[in-house]
Amino acid sequence: MTAALRLAVQSAWVDFQEVAVNGFLLFGAVWQPFFIGVTTMYMLRHRADFDPMYVIVGTALSGIFSTLLFAGSGAISHERWIGTLELLVASPASFFLVIGGRLAGTTVFSLLSLLLAYGIAALLFGYPIAIAEPGWFAISLLFAVAALWATGMFFAPLAILWRAVGHFLLGLEYPIFALSGLLFPILLLPGWTAPISNILPPYWAAVAMHGAARGDLDLPGLLRAWFFLFLTGGALLLIARLLFERVLTRARRAGTLALS
Amino acid sequence: MLRRSVGAIELRDVRRLFRATTGTLRRHTKEIVALDGLSLDVGEGELFGILGPNGAGKTTTIKVLTTLLIPTSGTATVMGLDVVRDAKEVRRRIGFVFGGERGLYYRLSGRDNLRYFAELYAVPPREIRSRVEELLDLVDLRPRGDERVEGYSRGMKQRLHLARTLLHRPRVLFLDEPTIGLDPIGARELRRIVRQLHEGGATIVLTTHYLFEADELCDRIAVIDKGRAVALGTPADLKSNVSDLSVVELEVFGIDAGTVERLRALDFVDSIVVEQRELRQVLRVQTRIAERAVAPLIAAVAAGQVGRVAVREATLEDAYVRLVGRVE
Repeated sequence: MTAALRLAVQSAWVDFQEVAVNGFLLFGAVWQPFFIGVTTMYMLRHRADFDPMYVIVGTALSGIFSTLLFAGSGAISHERWIGTLELLVASPASFFLVIGGRLAGTTVFSLLSLLLAYGIAALLFGYPIAIAEPGWFAISLLFAVAALWATGMFFAPLAILWRAVGHFLLGLEYPIFALSGLLFPILLLPGWTAPISNILPPYWAAVAMHGAARGDLDLPGLLRAWFFLFLTGGALLLIARLLFERVLTRARRAGTLALS
Repeated sequence: MLRRSVGAIELRDVRRLFRATTGTLRRHTKEIVALDGLSLDVGEGELFGILGPNGAGKTTTIKVLTTLLIPTSGTATVMGLDVVRDAKEVRRRIGFVFGGERGLYYRLSGRDNLRYFAELYAVPPREIRSRVEELLDLVDLRPRGDERVEGYSRGMKQRLHLARTLLHRPRVLFLDEPTIGLDPIGARELRRIVRQLHEGGATIVLTTHYLFEADELCDRIAVIDKGRAVALGTPADLKSNVSDLSVVELEVFGIDAGTVERLRALDFVDSIVVEQRELRQVLRVQTRIAERAVAPLIAAVAAGQVGRVAVREATLEDAYVRLVGRVE
């Protein structure tokens, strides 16, 4: 267990050093939330029912989600590009654990979007940024980040089989934003989309974080959201674990691990 | 010294096919045979060379043995462990280097690269620091260990690769063209380290395009072509295949394909290799009649086209040419 933890921490550290200057992830964690936050607050600021906290949390979640959606597959594509993918696969270490650690490094990086969202609201628009339930919010954030990390892990192994997986993920990003209610409530969507929202970890992340930040969700409601974060995130992680093994075996059979 | 005891590596009838797709609208898939029933044995403690032209299957063989490719059929074992069934156990016992500069984290220092790979290979934490320093010393990189790899020369990167592969003290090493692209001094230094590892008892499988390197280092050599072993033996064994031959080297200018074919058809010519060197070519003619072949050869080439002429004993490279019929 200790060795596994050391490996995950070392992988996170390597990732942090390798991707901290990655322009695409910087866009996901910093620039994209900046544009979303500023434009949404600017557009909605005169509405009577405007709640800046909703936009702050939505902006932060969109940054964390975008970063983690691409980071796992991005890490694998990067390893392939620099020629270390084969070295990792042919080492006795668990590749699942290595990529898990790498994605954890990016997770820390993605939290920049949370700071940024609060900064935009407080400094650019002068809104108060008091969180209604700070303790519940911290727990919600922890569960949310863990579930979004699991979502990134779910999509990561696709990069082993499919080099253009980034295009596919780009196509998924905004529909998931909308279906998860990150920036506006899913009640605005047609009723038939609700079951889809319910199986997406970002939706439960949004429910928990919006609820804790605004204080409009009671403890049973929060517990429900945390439970579903655990359930959906856990399910994706379990599937990811199986996918990693299947996909690596398939790549070794097809000879597609290396760049050429 | 040839050290062969129990089999460290065994390949039995290994076939490996790849699928290649052609066409845009009407796509066709064809199968390419990379290994075609290859069988080999490497003894423990042996330094075993694999030679062959581009596309012969050298790297595929190494990738099968390092668990990166699953054979289409046949079996391969390393230290008695099956590379498919016992892949994880095989990985603990082997180290490998693929030639070229890729395969390192460029934004990390050389020392941090080694530390990370030490974690991947589960080197005990209390040993990591000393092992990393020991290996940096071995490959002469200690003074520059804290610099980012992106600033290293090709030779330094290659030496770092070698250090990386030794972190967990593997019993079997696979070195796939480790000296490719290195300057002569860098290549010589790397060969010195390989020799040192071999003397330390490691089983080493080396692929190379440099025949003198194989001759200098290897206990035994397999020449493979089109995925099959076409010869196997000590360098001396392979050279004995051409002991009846001498080589006439003719430096020529602007020789055409027709003339080469005419020379090839001469009854005393065993084989010819043409090597392009800027504006001139060097013809290497293998023949059994040595000096007596010189005059007829010059006569067969147009007057004024011939420069330097030399006759020498056949080398391992000539044995290789005779076996695979071409040079790169």
